[in-house]
Amino acid sequence: MNELTVEYRKQKHMFIWLIPLVFLAVIFLWSTAGQGGLSDYDLAQGYSYLLYLMPVLNCILMPVMLAVLSSRICDMEVKGGTWKLLFTLQEKSRFYDRKFLTEFLYLALFCVGELTVLLLCGMLLGYTEPLPVKQALLHLAATLLTGSAVLTLQHILSLLAANQFVPLLTGLAGSFLGLFSEFFPPALARLVLWGYFGAFTPYHMDWNNDAQKIILIHKSFPTGLFAGLFGFTVLSYLLCRHIFLKKEL
Amino acid sequence: MVNIMETVIETNSLTKSYHRKNVVEDLDLSVPEGSIYGFLGPNGAGKSTTMKMLLGLAKPTRGNVRLLGKTMDDRNRLSLLRDTGSLIESPAYYGHLSGRDNLLLIASLKQTPEKQVDDVLRIVRLSDQQQKKVSHYSLGMKQRLGLAAALLGYPSLLLLDEPTNGLDPAGIQEMRELICTLPQKFGMTILISSHLLAEIDQMVTHVGIIDKGILVFQDRLDILHEYSRTGIRLHTTDNETACRLLAQNGMPVLRKEGCLYLDTRKDSDVLRMGHLLYNMNIGVLRIEEKQASLEDIFLSFTGAD
Repeated sequence: MNELTVEYRKQKHMFIWLIPLVFLAVIFLWSTAGQGGLSDYDLAQGYSYLLYLMPVLNCILMPVMLAVLSSRICDMEVKGGTWKLLFTLQEKSRFYDRKFLTEFLYLALFCVGELTVLLLCGMLLGYTEPLPVKQALLHLAATLLTGSAVLTLQHILSLLAANQFVPLLTGLAGSFLGLFSEFFPPALARLVLWGYFGAFTPYHMDWNNDAQKIILIHKSFPTGLFAGLFGFTVLSYLLCRHIFLKKEL
Repeated sequence: MVNIMETVIETNSLTKSYHRKNVVEDLDLSVPEGSIYGFLGPNGAGKSTTMKMLLGLAKPTRGNVRLLGKTMDDRNRLSLLRDTGSLIESPAYYGHLSGRDNLLLIASLKQTPEKQVDDVLRIVRLSDQQQKKVSHYSLGMKQRLGLAAALLGYPSLLLLDEPTNGLDPAGIQEMRELICTLPQKFGMTILISSHLLAEIDQMVTHVGIIDKGILVFQDRLDILHEYSRTGIRLHTTDNETACRLLAQNGMPVLRKEGCLYLDTRKDSDVLRMGHLLYNMNIGVLRIEEKQASLEDIFLSFTGAD
């Protein structure tokens, strides 16, 4: 616990909490923009629409946010050359885990914040649709898991790169790739890690030509994919951790 | 005066290889308790690698390290290092935090009372600048902050890797004075590395010289000083004849740079030389004792030109 507290104390004056907050603000503005004067039909599927929209937004925004977050938290160690001091005071593995946990807690904060945005939109815009609690929680779990997988990659890159340009560029590239992977054949899309933000969307959109309306159709949650991503995340975390531990200073 | 009792650092055949090339080879270091041990060597000799192995930051390819009487391994490394302070290569710091905040973090990790932060700031004379961001510190101040961090918990052993690197002469002097006071004040043993013998000559009690990863000398400083062999430099009215005469009489003489060098420390030899030259009517213009500087000795050990 002491080591985790130390991680947060290191962030004094850095306003790291602003990073998820700014991205949440963007999501809130994006979600509410153009939703003034919604019809009864739109209000009746308001939450579903947001739960469809948010994974797409996450695909664009989260890779960048996680890259910035991880880079800001890890760069202070790289810049200050603190390894040689820190690893005489704490185990390298504990340092790696605590640092990741710090980043993960910001990610969790963001995910919870996104659900808050969902509720806030419902209240402000007067959605008539009952909140689909199950879908919202599954969205939270999927975002948290995909975020963790991406964070695992950003974490090791930020710790090992002498120049933070590398992890930041990876984040940007991930954002583009993630979004474009939506248009890839499914088998190919599954190879793009950042694309998983959109892979768990609980709805898909269709166009009812007769009614001239957008219909949101509920999708069953891809449990197998979720379990596979969970396994991949755990394995890649262990692998990255091993690489970091093996690297001599 | 600190009593020298036992060995605080001991390495046995310590070896480190990178890409099958030995950077440190069969190093048997022995640092006595209470000493200030100067670990000398040219740049790239293996000093920092050795220091890193002593702290468990680099894994030895072969051999082992005994620290404070215990063989260091992965399990006891941190508990042994709890009684060790270190400053390796350059000072470690968080530039966006104040000097005080930096030390509070280290104190927290070392689990030492926060009150000690004030004490170490006073020792390194940074009390007045403690609230300033470290990114605004000069290099000298950063080095002193690094030393303050190493002093937290008043460890028995201090490992300082080139602590005066990059400092101006005033900074070097200040750092030197500071380091010299530590063994007496806090009973610490200090291992300090440098590539400049003259710099640490004024503070160490023991010296180890490493070159190309091999320890070429290790002993007390006064023993090293004995290597600064004395000889006599002589300038006469006729150096050529004088040289021939002295050589014929079995004296160890050399002609070099327009002078004669008599490789002896005996007063009787000097007296005899005077008689010989006087008898041959050769006038002595200048006579002086020549002493090899410590730098010369260092260079002779490290084989540098």
